[in-house]
Amino acid sequence: MPWPIYLALKQLFPTGRRFPFFTLISITGVALGVMLLVISISVMGGFQHEIRKMIVDTQGEVQVRGEGLIADPAAVLAALAQVPGVAAATPFAEGVALIEHERKPAYPGIQGIDLARIEAVAPLGRFVRVGSLDDLDDDTVILSSQLAAGLGARLGSRIEVYSPLLLEKMKNDEVMLPRELTVVGLFEVGHQQLDSSLVLVTLRTMQDLYGLGPAVHGVNVRIAPGADPDAVARAVNETMLRAHRVQARSWIEANEDFLFVLQLEKNMIFFLLTFIIVVAAFSVASSLLIAVVRKTREIGLLGALGAKPRQVAACFCCQGLFIGVAGTAAGVALGFVFLHFRNDMIRIFTQLTGSEEVLARFYQFSRLPAHTAREDIVLIIVCAVVISTLAGLLPAWRAARLKPVEALRSE
Amino acid sequence: MPATALNPASSSVLSADGLRKTYLSGVQRLQVLSDVSLEVAAGESVSIRGESGSGKSTLINLLAGLDAPDVGRLLWFGQPATPDRRAEFLGIVFQSFYLIPEMDALANVLMAARIRGGAGAAERSRARDLLGRVGLAERATHLPAQLSGGERQRVAVARALMNAPKLVLADEPTGNLDERTGDAVIELLLGLCRETGTALVLVTHNVAHAAKCAHQLTLRDGTLC
Repeated sequence: MPWPIYLALKQLFPTGRRFPFFTLISITGVALGVMLLVISISVMGGFQHEIRKMIVDTQGEVQVRGEGLIADPAAVLAALAQVPGVAAATPFAEGVALIEHERKPAYPGIQGIDLARIEAVAPLGRFVRVGSLDDLDDDTVILSSQLAAGLGARLGSRIEVYSPLLLEKMKNDEVMLPRELTVVGLFEVGHQQLDSSLVLVTLRTMQDLYGLGPAVHGVNVRIAPGADPDAVARAVNETMLRAHRVQARSWIEANEDFLFVLQLEKNMIFFLLTFIIVVAAFSVASSLLIAVVRKTREIGLLGALGAKPRQVAACFCCQGLFIGVAGTAAGVALGFVFLHFRNDMIRIFTQLTGSEEVLARFYQFSRLPAHTAREDIVLIIVCAVVISTLAGLLPAWRAARLKPVEALRSE
Repeated sequence: MPATALNPASSSVLSADGLRKTYLSGVQRLQVLSDVSLEVAAGESVSIRGESGSGKSTLINLLAGLDAPDVGRLLWFGQPATPDRRAEFLGIVFQSFYLIPEMDALANVLMAARIRGGAGAAERSRARDLLGRVGLAERATHLPAQLSGGERQRVAVARALMNAPKLVLADEPTGNLDERTGDAVIELLLGLCRETGTALVLVTHNVAHAAKCAHQLTLRDGTLC
């Protein structure tokens, strides 16, 4: 082992002594900064991931819509099956409806799904917490959990559904009765907005409610594993835009602004929290500068023993590097520990402050999401280690400039 | 044979010719050394005595290549003295020991070898052997703080001899020791230099210690006599 590295290690972790205070403080500073970065970036990544998952799991990765209604969904489905990268597709119809249960009204979104095709595209069955998607038919409905709670509806409850078409006809003094549907399931996606205001019915029920006939509003597409949603959307547009008058958009394109804002927030958090590491690096630099002053005579001795100035400089640079590596490793580890127990910690905190509902209402998720991307961790590690190493440069330069004879003479 | 005039010879490990050193003290120029010449042959021991402030430490620093003379020439083994030759050529013993406090005695001795180029099994064995020869075999794993002043200086002596140098420069090595311990350290230093054929330049106040060297010089008014 080159002696500057050996000496740097010895000075940071001396033989037969406990962890030196200066080393501990320096490493802790870097570790705290890295830990905060890991937690913040992972939580931001978690939001992104959850939103992606929610969109993809409920809509597929690509959505195809017509200029108006898609009058012949079978032809569109057949054409989609020929597009490279398309794994499955399912038609849908969507809108809003007035629903009522025991005189309690609500205005949720309502979606008609093709039971034969839906699971291949959007695994909605996974989100049905009570009842089963298999029980859904033209006389039944599945409610989102919070909506059901708000209406006081349970399995077997009958709800009345008024569609805009029905309301329009009633306005023209036609006698129309609302559609009565039986609740056969409650679903919960984990997203507050969807869990409080969505109703699932069969595609046929929705077509009846809206008077669509065989037409649908769009087709949701699941792409093949590894395929790029944007590329598949482009391929769909190239092959089907003219023939079927439909246009495809990937979930990324459809949510471009929202994803941009999320990414911007994530980048800003990264930028701002990096300053914590910079502050920690100043503390490392300050500690190492003190070490240079404290060890002036030892530095002089090294020169007297034949050490070159660049080797002395390397010794202090290595100390910055080792503090950076140790602090980063500790910070990443602490960050992952926090992320592992984040929901327990948040539950305790919200219980203490009585803010459980606020969390769900404002942040849309019932649990704090976290998703740690490998490239984010690599970036954090590289930044922390480089900044810490740079912190060793000034002390290293000071140490290298010391003349042995003057250093040995110093008091 | 040491001389105040340069007398180059093939066996010379140290040749200093006309060394002069001046310091600026405020606006005043203070000439510490004026025309110092010295030659030390292999295996020779030379003592340099002088009053406080006579320039002994300045001379040692010049001879060690730690400081540059204003005028004059310094050769180690017939070649110009350069910092990169120091680890191989010189061993230095200081009055204040200068051991690295984070390292045990063995690691301190080995540090000289590390700086020279490496500390393998052979160097480790030599360091243990040297510690044994200075009577500290049992204290190899002790930190400097756990050693007495005399023991620390003995570690410093072992470190100075670690790279089997041609010349050891000792700058008042007993200055921080009591008389009895100082005597023991000087005996040890002289004995080891004799055993290993290493030349020794010993700067000391102590007349008795100086007398133990083969040649005695005195630094007075900036010159050796």
